[in-house]
Amino acid sequence: MARKVAVVAGGHSKFGKRYDATMRELSAEAYKPIYDEGITQDKIDATVLSYAASQFTGQGAGSALIADYIGLYDKPHLRVESACTTGTASLRAAWGMVAAGLYDVMLVLGVEQMNRVSSATATEYMSQAGDMRWEYPYGISFPAFYALMASRYMHEYDMPHDVLAKIAVKSHHYGAQNPKAHLPREVSFEEANNAIPICRPLNLYDCSLITDGAAAVVIAAEDRVNEFTDRPMWIKGIGAGASSMKIQDRESLTSIPGAKHAAKAAYEMAGVGPDDIDMAQVHDCFTIAELIAYEDLGFAEPGKGREIVENKENYHTGRIPVNCDGGLKSKGHPLGATGVSMTYEIMKQMRGEAENQSRQIEDVKLGLAHNVGQSGQFVNVFIFERGW
Amino acid sequence: MSEEKELYLGYTTDKAITPFFQDFLEALEQEKLMKSKCTKCGTEYLPPREYCQKDLSKCELEEHTEKEAKLYSYVIVDFAPETLSSKAPYVVAIGEFPSGLRLTAHITNLMSMPEVGMNLKLAFDKIDAKKITYKWLV
Ligand SMILES: CC(C)(COP(=O)(O)OP(=O)(O)OC[C@H]1O[C@@H](n2cnc3c(N)ncnc32)[C@H](O)[C@@H]1OP(=O)(O)O)[C@@H](O)C(=O)NCCC(=O)NCCS
Ligand SMILES: [Zn+2]
Repeated sequence: MARKVAVVAGGHSKFGKRYDATMRELSAEAYKPIYDEGITQDKIDATVLSYAASQFTGQGAGSALIADYIGLYDKPHLRVESACTTGTASLRAAWGMVAAGLYDVMLVLGVEQMNRVSSATATEYMSQAGDMRWEYPYGISFPAFYALMASRYMHEYDMPHDVLAKIAVKSHHYGAQNPKAHLPREVSFEEANNAIPICRPLNLYDCSLITDGAAAVVIAAEDRVNEFTDRPMWIKGIGAGASSMKIQDRESLTSIPGAKHAAKAAYEMAGVGPDDIDMAQVHDCFTIAELIAYEDLGFAEPGKGREIVENKENYHTGRIPVNCDGGLKSKGHPLGATGVSMTYEIMKQMRGEAENQSRQIEDVKLGLAHNVGQSGQFVNVFIFERGW
Repeated sequence: MSEEKELYLGYTTDKAITPFFQDFLEALEQEKLMKSKCTKCGTEYLPPREYCQKDLSKCELEEHTEKEAKLYSYVIVDFAPETLSSKAPYVVAIGEFPSGLRLTAHITNLMSMPEVGMNLKLAFDKIDAKKITYKWLV
């Protein structure tokens, strides 16, 4: 029988255009608060150190570089990669090793340095995660994959763009209160609804940011947890799913099949349902992705996600608070760090330590992280439980 | 492959050409869109694949004869990946043929906003001496 595993500590760099740092310094910023809490290198058995794309830095075998930089050069480490789910895939891999008894205490650190190249070059690198033979030659960027979903969703459910703009307004409202956020400022509905087009029907405010940043968590086996904290966050459910490589091969574009599968598996493992969840961090790489996530996770019926938006049920005092840290939209999206950052945020919220009371969700017992890679080829859903 | 013509699909120059894909490209140059069919289970693939996704048997190329399709979904790419920057804005469309097979390509002659469900016609283009493509017309 697998051992229970808990998240016992976390750290987070400032997200942003970090011309003052590279993946090394960002990683150090994420590990430093954990070190300061007393989880020094000697207490860590092994690490998963991850980033999504080596093109951005040119650095090969980067987990060795990061491990060395933060003083873990003599501990076993590896890199896990699965596009934008790299962070939760790393957590999933580490969970497996701790649950199986291979290690007791592991560090999971996700980092991405994306801004040393232009946005056009970054867009080029990311588009190379599409099918290189059939999709890439037609210039289908990441915003374009999600715009293909948005066009179809807006058609099938007769939805105006307004709904998407309201999601952006909410994200920026919370990002403005998060000192770690990349673009911490409020936007008006008019600004968000009428911004310059990027991949129509999606505009600038429908897109997540190109961000540099890192986040880290430490996980420990049940019999070691007490050495590190009296406020453990148990990993209660893990689900993973996948979807077809080419977007044209999806039966439907109004949902991500891998996400539905991952959610079902996570709920089953945790023995809970969507109504039990007190908060969610969802993968809002684009506003349409957040809307679809409400439905794939069971917070709304298919086609009804917009009701959550219109009724502001996704705000921190609402029925299902979503991304009250700004999300990928305003906090930012350093690909490999994102899933770890979601985990960190849920831990902070459970502990009542959101820096700002105006974004603190009350009494979080169960938190859910929904992390999607590419346009759904990879999905991880985690359910965390407060352990005190 | 010294005897073969240097051909690329679409707007980039991916060098990962195989004999099977070269046959597809040479047919495309003759304005024939090829799909593939599994020699064991008969499953059809568009765009074509050399190995069947279900049973990993070999597939054979054959001409896809449907010319008319409906717009399943679209995007107008305003901010493009670097290699296509000079081409933006351009429209990428998933078209669905009556058989249910789909194809992703640019629509090159739109004068107004695309609409899901609109009629599309399959056409061909020589982008330059080496780059060729299928495309959609409205
Ligand atoms: C949309 C996008 C192309 C804009 O990039 P850009 O045009 O190079 O923007 P710049 O970095 O030059 O910034 C220009 C301005 O827009 C702002 N901005 C940039 N991206 C923004 C975004 N996504 N949302 C809101 N504002 C944004 C900047 O803060 C800057 O504002 P300022 O002039 O007030 O300082 C880029 O953000 C993008 O590609 N996002 C998607 C990332 C992605 O696909 N990730 C993977 C998802 S799976
Ligand atoms: Zn077959």
